[in-house]
Order: sequence, then structure tokens, then C-alpha cells
Amino acid sequence: MSEILRTHDLRAGYGLIEVLHGVNINVDAGEIVVVLGANGAGKTTMMRAISGMIPRTGVVDFLADDIAHLSAHKVTARGIAHVPQGRGTFPELTVEENLRIGAHSRRDSFAADIDYWYGVFPRLQERRLQRAGSLSGGEQQMLAIARALMSRPKLLLCDEPSLGLAPLVTRELFEVLQRLNSETGLSVLLVEQNANLALEIASRVYLLETGEIVSSGTPDEYMNNDAVRKSYLGH
Amino acid sequence: MSRFFQYLFDGLSSGAIYSLLALCLVVVYRGTGYLNFAQGEMSMFCTFLVWKLNDWGMPLWLAAISGMLIGYLGGATVETTLIRPVAKRSQFAVFVVAIGLFLGLNSLAGAIWGAPPQETMPSLFPNEPDDFQRIFGASWRYQSIGILIVGLVVTGLLFALFNKTRFGLAMRAVASNADSARLVGVNTGRVLAASWGLAAAIGALAGTMVAGTTGEVVPGLMFSYFVYASAAATLGGFDSLGGAVIAGLTIGVVENMAAGYAPKWIGQEMRLGVALLIILGVLLIKPTGLFGEQKVSRV
Ligand SMILES: Nc1ncnc2c1ncn2[C@@H]1O[C@H](COP(=O)(O)OP(=O)(O)O)[C@@H](O)[C@H]1O
Ligand SMILES: [Mg+2]
Repeated sequence: MSEILRTHDLRAGYGLIEVLHGVNINVDAGEIVVVLGANGAGKTTMMRAISGMIPRTGVVDFLADDIAHLSAHKVTARGIAHVPQGRGTFPELTVEENLRIGAHSRRDSFAADIDYWYGVFPRLQERRLQRAGSLSGGEQQMLAIARALMSRPKLLLCDEPSLGLAPLVTRELFEVLQRLNSETGLSVLLVEQNANLALEIASRVYLLETGEIVSSGTPDEYMNNDAVRKSYLGH
Repeated sequence: MSRFFQYLFDGLSSGAIYSLLALCLVVVYRGTGYLNFAQGEMSMFCTFLVWKLNDWGMPLWLAAISGMLIGYLGGATVETTLIRPVAKRSQFAVFVVAIGLFLGLNSLAGAIWGAPPQETMPSLFPNEPDDFQRIFGASWRYQSIGILIVGLVVTGLLFALFNKTRFGLAMRAVASNADSARLVGVNTGRVLAASWGLAAAIGALAGTMVAGTTGEVVPGLMFSYFVYASAAATLGGFDSLGGAVIAGLTIGVVENMAAGYAPKWIGQEMRLGVALLIILGVLLIKPTGLFGEQKVSRV
């Protein structure tokens, strides 16, 4: 399968403190890759390093081009969309404006895309003229994902979308991700602390501990691994 | 009654200038979160350039447009070279730089053009003693009508820019959540530079109209206007364009009415004080300003 993303010796941090100590991961086209890690392991930092939100060193190959030197808005234009932890919607803009700004990196017409996302998330259509800040947590997460996909990315980075959501809402959300993945071939890099549902849709799994990848494997291997079950599955 | 209309109309006309300058402050504030203390001096400096171009023989309206263009480039340059590098450090550093800019532009203008006699500035609009219309018993000077119309047109264009264009949406996105704006592909640096440029350009136009009214360009040209504009921006809620406009016009009218109707104890000298007192009163009752957008809290 063709490779979409590969990081090599990816390092990043804040100020003088290094948080990521040389991360190597890869995502193939059409995969949903899940990175599990405890709170503070560096998952968010890894995502921000890939999308150019923070300075980083090492290699970030995206579709065989090194993008490690590009700033965030250029990374987006290349075809990576990042849904940040905490959703990152624009609370003062309406739902529809959030979707429109999602297409900022595109030059073609995107009206059909907005209709498409209203079809996927009818609740967004009902609230299209409301401010995003007035939506519920689940609705905001849907909006965040729809907005990210308005740019028609080849790779979606999703940072703990389940945070603060009821399990049922999380399940609904993951089903949408899985459907998009199987129907459109969208590649997804998903980081989670809460692994139960994430493992159900994963193609492959990495384990991140204190800024380093310590293991990788199939979802089945992780579901049956006692240590992992204790730390990330809660049973 | 004709006195009332006279004060109302004069108030709207000076209020239009306050509104324009308040809009400049709001445009910069929304993008970056700080008050540009140098806004008035930037306007004043551009106005001197307009005067100089006109002095060299360029028609005044063309000089004003050139002054706006130079202002745009200057404002954008100030943001990228002076403000942005220190903004990474602290808000306080930005404040210090803006104050430095204020003093620097002021003394530079003083050094180049300051020696008396003061430079006389023509008006963009007909401004002979008999250039007025009598309406409702009040004299509506073409000069003042022109300022009002320009104010309304610029405000309308600014609203259209913010609400109807791709770039305006990007500006509002940066104001709402700068990190997320980067993630959707907005070049936030370019947006901030453009905000400063836009503010400086509108400031150049406002300064040119102020100088046309007073008839001269001096380094202290915009000082009191800046105070009124900050008051209007504060009263309007600081992040609301509509609020800035309405507050600017209101302050203009209130100030003129107060000075006109109670000349014995207020008079011309105290009008600034009266306006500021009213603002203080409003802010005590409603700290977000009259039209301040209640920040929508994220769930
Ligand atoms: N903005 C920041 N400034 C300084 N340190 C940070 C910042 N964000 C995160 N960190 C630190 O980096 C480490 C990894 O954080 P993060 O990437 O957010 O972990 P995770 O997403 O896995 O919970 C933590 O020790 C955290 O304290
Ligand atoms: Mg995190």
C-alpha cells in the first residue's frame, strides 16, 4: 500500500524542554492509525509537530515530500487537516461560517461540500446560522471534523475527539470516521487516551510513552494485552 | 429647535471621525487583542504626507488616496517588523513599542514639518464660508456633509469586507481563534499585517478630513480625536464594528449638545471631560461596553 505519512526522528517541545524524543510512525493510504498514550505522553505535541503548529526537527514526509519546515497554513494546503484537542471551532462564527473557513485553503467552489456535510450531520444544518459556541460538545466535535474535511485533506489528524463526550456520542462519531474511511479512502491518524472505541476502528496501533513510541501492532494484539488493557482500556 | 438640529448635525459630523478612528482601533484589536496607542500619530503622519503631496502639486483627492496607500504599506510594515516580533514576548512589550511609535512619529513630524508657520491644509470638500445648505434652520456645511458621507461609505465597505469576503471571514476567524485559523490554512501573519494596514489607511483618510476642517496640519492634530475614538471603541465594546460606529456618533452628538446647551459651566474647554464622564458612567453599569459581544464560552 502506498505511504501517506512517515515521520523519522521527529522531535519537538516547548522552549528548551523536549517533549517528543524522536518519534517514528507511518500511515499508509486508507489506514486508520491509532496512537495510544496516557495523559502527558506527548500525543498532542506529536500532532502539533506534524501539522506545523510548533517548531520541530526531524523528517515529516507527506506524500514523499518533507514538510517538516513548513508552517501550519502551508501544511494544510498540502492536504493535512488537524482537528485539535478541545475541537478548536470558532465560537463567534456561525456553523456555516465555520464550514466555509474550513475551505480556506481551496480555490475551487465548495458549496456542494457544505451540503454534503449537512447530509452527514443533519444537526449541523438545523443549527447552521447559530454561533458555534452555542453548540453542545458532541455537535462541536462534529463541526470540527466537518470543518477539517472541508479542505478535502488526504490525511486527517484527530486529537482525542472523545474527550468530554458521552460514550454513545463518541461511538456515533467514530462510526462516521470509519464510514468516511471506507467510502472515501480517507486516511486518519487518531490519538486517544481512552482506547476502547478507538481500537474498534483502528487498522494499526502505536503506543506512545513519555515522548517515545514503545510498541506497535494490530488492534487485536492490544485488546488482548493485559498491561495495555489495564492502562488504556480500564478493564 | 434649529439649535438642536445644528448641534445634532455638528455632532454627527465630528462623531463620524471618531467612528472612523474607533473602527481602526477595533480592526487592530480584534486581530491582536491590543489597543494601538500610535493610531492617532500614524494618522497624523500620513496626513502630513498627504499635505506634502498636495503641496507638490498633486490634486488633493489623489494625494489622499496615495496617503492611504502609503498608510496601508506603513501599517503593515509596522506590524511585521515592530509589533509581531515583540508580541511573542508579552503584551506589555507591545504597549511599549506602540508608545515608542507614538513618540517617534510625533517628534519626527515635529522635526520635519513642525516649525511655524503651520502648514495650511485645503479640504477635500467645498469649504468656502458660503458652502452650506440651510436645513431645519441649521446650516449644514458641505464640508461636514462630506465627512458624514465618507464615514458612512467607509463603514459600509468595511462591513462588506468583513461579512461578505473570503478575506474578511479569515480576519474574523483569526480574531475568534488564531490557532484554529492557522489549522484551516489562514496565513495569520498576512491577516494581521493587513489589519494594521487597513487601520492605518482609514486613519490617513480621517486625518486628512480633520486637517481639512481645522485648516492646518500640526503634530498634535489627532490627539483629542484619538482620545474620543478610544472612548468610542471602549463604549462600543472594543470588538464590535457596529458598536464602534454607533458609540462614535453618540459621543459626537452628546459632546456637541453638552457644549452647546450648557455653555456656562461646560463650555468648549470641558466637552472632553463631559464625554469621558458619560463613558465612565456607562462602563460602570455595563463593563463590556454597550455592544460588547459576550464571549461565547466553549463547551
Ligand atoms: N504549551 C505547553 N508549554 C509547555 N509544556 C507543555 C505545553 N503543552 C504541553 N506541555 C507538556 O508537554 C508534555 C506532553 O503534553 P501533551 O503533548 O499535551 O500530552 P498528551 O496530549 O499526550 O496528553 C506534558 O508534560 C506537558 O506538560
Ligand atoms: Mg493531548
